[in-house]
Amino acid sequence: MMVLLLVLPLLGALLMLLWPKVAPLLTLLTAAVCSLVALQLVSRVSEQGSLQILLAGWPSGLAISLEANSLSSLLILLTTVLQLLVALYAVATYRRDKLGAGFWPLSSLLQLGLTALWLSRDLFNLYVCLELLGIAAVALVSLSGDKAIKPALNYLLLSLFGSLCYLLGVAMLYGAYGVLDISALALQWQANLLSSAALVLMTLGLMLKAALWPLHAWLPAAHAAAPAPVSALLSALVVKGPLFILCLLWLQLAATTQAQAMAPLFSFCGLAALLLGGIAALRTPLAKNMVAYSTVAQLGYATLALGLLLQFNQPLFAAALWLFVLAHALAKAACFLAIGEMTATLGGKRLNTLKGASQTMPLAMFAFAVAGGSLIGLPPSGGFLAKWALLQGLWLQGDQLLYLLAIVVVTLLSAAYVFRVVALAFDRAKPVKPDFAPHIVPQWLALLPALAVWAMTLYSEPLLRLLKQEGL
Amino acid sequence: MSLLLFDTALCLLLLALALASMLSRQLVNAVMLYIAFGLMMALAWARLAAPDLALAEAAIGAGLTGALCFSALARQQLDITAAALSWPQRLWPATFVVLMLGGILAALLQLPSVASPLVAVAQAELINSGVSHPVTAVLLNFRSWDTLLELVVLLLALLGALPVAPAEKSATSWSLGLSWSRLLAPMVILLAGYLLWAGASQPGGAFQAGVLLAAGAVVLRLNQQLNWLSWCNFWVRLLVVAGIAVFVLVALLALWLTPANVDAVWLSWPPLLAGGIILLIEVFATLAIASTLTLLVVGEPAPQHNRTESV
Amino acid sequence: MTELSMTELSPQLLLYIATAACLFAIGVYGFIVGPQTLRRILALNIISAGIFMLMVVLAYRGLANGQARASPDPVLHALILTGLVVAVSATAFALALLGRLKQTQASPEHQP
Repeated sequence: MMVLLLVLPLLGALLMLLWPKVAPLLTLLTAAVCSLVALQLVSRVSEQGSLQILLAGWPSGLAISLEANSLSSLLILLTTVLQLLVALYAVATYRRDKLGAGFWPLSSLLQLGLTALWLSRDLFNLYVCLELLGIAAVALVSLSGDKAIKPALNYLLLSLFGSLCYLLGVAMLYGAYGVLDISALALQWQANLLSSAALVLMTLGLMLKAALWPLHAWLPAAHAAAPAPVSALLSALVVKGPLFILCLLWLQLAATTQAQAMAPLFSFCGLAALLLGGIAALRTPLAKNMVAYSTVAQLGYATLALGLLLQFNQPLFAAALWLFVLAHALAKAACFLAIGEMTATLGGKRLNTLKGASQTMPLAMFAFAVAGGSLIGLPPSGGFLAKWALLQGLWLQGDQLLYLLAIVVVTLLSAAYVFRVVALAFDRAKPVKPDFAPHIVPQWLALLPALAVWAMTLYSEPLLRLLKQEGL
Repeated sequence: MSLLLFDTALCLLLLALALASMLSRQLVNAVMLYIAFGLMMALAWARLAAPDLALAEAAIGAGLTGALCFSALARQQLDITAAALSWPQRLWPATFVVLMLGGILAALLQLPSVASPLVAVAQAELINSGVSHPVTAVLLNFRSWDTLLELVVLLLALLGALPVAPAEKSATSWSLGLSWSRLLAPMVILLAGYLLWAGASQPGGAFQAGVLLAAGAVVLRLNQQLNWLSWCNFWVRLLVVAGIAVFVLVALLALWLTPANVDAVWLSWPPLLAGGIILLIEVFATLAIASTLTLLVVGEPAPQHNRTESV
Repeated sequence: MTELSMTELSPQLLLYIATAACLFAIGVYGFIVGPQTLRRILALNIISAGIFMLMVVLAYRGLANGQARASPDPVLHALILTGLVVAVSATAFALALLGRLKQTQASPEHQP
């Protein structure tokens, strides 16, 4: 089953390169089939526990090991479903947005890279996946033409630098322990200067790639420059890849002393990202930049949850971490698609163009508002679930007033930037005239993930159980 | 003792070249110093018992990267010299880097002097891998998933570079160059074939052979030969894709052919056929690598429908 | 592994390891200071050369000690080959982007 999830997008992409005419159809087909297979994988893993394979049947250590646990399978499901959705959106707006023919194979290869990353449990293989992801993402950004070249180049250079830092860490660990397999490495792990240095290097590189504060500066320009479906994929999925590896390293490898030492730093970075990212989102005049800064801010929640998890070792924080990732992915895909649709139809990049959008494009605006509700954490959305798990965890620890206070402040901040847009949209005095009659289908497609993130609460019980028990 | 002296000299030279390349005002000098650095690096690796890597590094670090950098330089104006940086602009990064270097060096001192336990495992399993050269066995059997993904990365770089490739400057070919390149072509093909074949038992392999072929193709292409070699050509696309496609299809076939009583494992070759399968994959990977690299170096104006001009 | 000054490595290995680390540092310095993009791309290549050199030295470890083994670590060599291909792909892509960037900056209609 795992093999199918890896092979299908790859073969699909190859066929697309040979016959570009059928590319959209093939993308839809592979994404749809992969979604079904991923669904099957999730149900199978939740029934029978995690699946492991040693590739090519060689003994452990020599072979690359893949593992599909409940978290990986959920993330694969998320990837394939969002891929399907974005492909549908791209098909619906293909003629209007002049998306390059390169989009189809690249997005399929992006899906391959993500799936391979969620499954891999081998440090070097993860490096190759990271590079695959980075190059695919940059190529997708550069699709939107000359104005995107500069941010794309910047993104590429920083992403390469990040992966090289990671690679040096891998080389040092291999030099010390002589294995690349994460579970084998965890058995021999010793907390010494060498392993700490390797961890710090890898963390730096991954934080740069995941755009965690303070290494986030490249993200807003790159994500805002990309075409709407691409920004949806980038914000929802691509930055989560390095984050996943980061969690893998700190939760499975690092010794308790190392984790304890790093935890306050992660918490601090998370809070800073939430505060400064939120303020930047509030101040920017451009619509897509606002959503991009909101990604920086929301990634802060995940960093904070990781820091708290390392500090207190409370499973609720693990659940909070991954719920944030899932909820944010869905909500951000909806936001980018909705904003992209509105700015394309209303003809302008600035937030002012959205004036009166509740009248001209009610459906897209509704999608944005619904997704925004989850970003704020309004009950009963997915964002609320995550935040609730976080608060509950903090409450159980006791005496964490400072964190509670900070979370209230940043929640207000995210509410402020979402309501800024909503208020503009309800300003019906002089609505901005659309350039052409708004299309209905893309707006519905933007609404779907927004609804899905609210539907997450329906499955809150099994989700919480799965994510809590895995930890990772 | 003389060996240690040689090592010291080599290391100092490497450091000096790298530093000079980073600090030189003129970009042209920086690129030339980098190429020299790449060649010295190849020498160092040959010294460290890694001849196949030295081959690859000489082809890539010095050859390919250098050629790519020079063609990039040719596109931008040569007159760009860096404005001199002020002291604080240099001092802060330098302090940071020196601190980091200290940390890394202190950490590296703790490295054990024994090799990885995987070496013994790899040696023991070598008989079952179908080839006798351990590096090839690791690349195409033990860790073939890495290699497959690496081919995908190469393909992705091409896919990313093609739509943004700047328009080609038309150059007239030089008749002597033309006749030379015609003479060169068969030799390059012969040599590449040998490298590929040698990969099974000696240093060499798909990648080195691919780079060599690409170098030959680039020379021919620059002399206005091989004009069919462009992305619009279906057969060229097929060639580029073939490396990955054959790899995946063979793996699927192997999966399908596994007897029912054995657990089917992705990418595992049947022991009897392993040698043949690896050679097959290598041949197509070489061709794919060669054509991909050629397209990457030569570049070409993308077909019209591929361009998304923003207005 | 308690004392920092205690190391099991031979002087030759130490020399090469230190060189690799210094190359990494030189590359990082070049990457941060820049200022031209082409220089930063070169810097990335020097960084990767440093890392690969470290890996080559690590693969060579057993041989220097005179252990009874004929070949250096094949796993590391394979990783380096993979890494080289990845690095050159990324460099080629970055240079293509750079070329396009220079072209758009040079052409007059793009000047604001």
